[in-house]
Amino acid sequence: MSISRRVRLHIWLRLLFLQASWNFERLQGIGFFYALLPGLKKLYRKDELRDVSRRYVGYFNTHVYLAPLVAGAVLKLEEQKAAGQADPDFSIEEFKEMVAAPYAAIGDALFWGGLRPLAAGVSLFFAVKGILWAPLIFIILYNIVPIWFRTVFFVRGYRQGMDSVKFIQEHKLPDWAIHTKEAAVVVLGGLSAFMVFSQLTHHQLPGWLGLLTLLPMVMLSLIARKGVSTLVLVFITVGTIFLLGLFWVDMIQLFALWGAK
Amino acid sequence: MVFSLSLGALVSLICGLDRVAILQVMISRPIVAAPLVALLLGEPLVGLQIGVMVELLWLARLPVGAAVPPDDTQVAIATSVLTVIFERALNTSGIELILLCLLIATPLGKVGQYFDHYARQYNVSLATRVDTALDQGALTRAEFLHLRGLVSFTLAALGTYAVIMAGGLVAVPLLWPLIQKSFGYSTAWVELALPLIGVAVVLGTINVSRAITLFCASFCMAFLLMWLV
Repeated sequence: MSISRRVRLHIWLRLLFLQASWNFERLQGIGFFYALLPGLKKLYRKDELRDVSRRYVGYFNTHVYLAPLVAGAVLKLEEQKAAGQADPDFSIEEFKEMVAAPYAAIGDALFWGGLRPLAAGVSLFFAVKGILWAPLIFIILYNIVPIWFRTVFFVRGYRQGMDSVKFIQEHKLPDWAIHTKEAAVVVLGGLSAFMVFSQLTHHQLPGWLGLLTLLPMVMLSLIARKGVSTLVLVFITVGTIFLLGLFWVDMIQLFALWGAK
Repeated sequence: MVFSLSLGALVSLICGLDRVAILQVMISRPIVAAPLVALLLGEPLVGLQIGVMVELLWLARLPVGAAVPPDDTQVAIATSVLTVIFERALNTSGIELILLCLLIATPLGKVGQYFDHYARQYNVSLATRVDTALDQGALTRAEFLHLRGLVSFTLAALGTYAVIMAGGLVAVPLLWPLIQKSFGYSTAWVELALPLIGVAVVLGTINVSRAITLFCASFCMAFLLMWLV
């Protein structure tokens, strides 16, 4: 028995709620069961369905955008199992465990570590210029890839079952994650230069001062690498600037008094 | 003020759910959430300025595995609402007030981390109840219990928003007269420093070999182009 397109669409929509009950014990486990349930209901009846459901509510964690790929593949495997065509040497649980963690690592690096800073960097150029469309630019830029992953990968997963792993290997996603992160660093470099230049121009200060900004930035990044929290860095930097501002104003007043005498 | 607070709470709820529980289409990112709430309150440019600073400030904090980052979404929303409220109440405008609201809201964002943690901890009890429901063959109840997790995340988002708003509503009127003038000497540089700190933290934590070299090359190239051409 195959799962109809309508049920698959239902499952895909439910995957958007994958993390609704995210918890420290089973992470996305219940969400994964919730998403697959319409399909499982088509394949199994009563007691059998209850037993299969119990298998799915356990621990499960992968990247939220790659979960549809796992769900599609698992659905195919369940379909094969219900039809008595399953591989006896390899269980569906083993497949889930085998792919979930690597997919989570790939997704974290690609989406959170690479694509998000990249899309933010690009859209912030517009935001710094005061263009009100900047948030929309961010949403569109960022979501193109995740929507593609969520839809195409779900279809691929269902079509290829266990072979969907090859699909991931062919796309060399870990390499793409590195390229995206590198692109994000380059964009953030350009964005920082743009913000510094805009500020210097606004205050009619000499341009060469901007190049000096690199020194505290590199220092701060090395401190951050040691594990110092962003909050600490913020309050130290803001406090220093605040005190320097007051000192500078006092000095100007002092020089003015001197000049008057 | 009640209208502004309620509108902020509504945006906080929607964006708070997008952050973890549903969709993840990134309307929860500060660059989206802050301008969105500020637009609804009639001050979109204020939201845009706040969005730029908060987005870059917390860009390096990733929700990897079971890690719960500070709630930058609620910081961005609450800062926008606080700024708009006090702009009207104190009859003032400008970056000084935005920065004061942001500097009060940012440490309070840590509260969001704890609330989010409690929500996820509470959801463990839902998992146990799902097991019981399945033992009884009550699949619909198990589905419902999954969706009940949304309540925990909603309360965490609204709780964080409420704490930041309460802190801001008390602290801003107290601090504003004290630092209004002296803060004015340094605000332009603080406004620049905050996003640059965020970028520096990204550089320090991003897992890319030669990240600092790439960054410096890109910075110098872009800066020289703008300066000399």
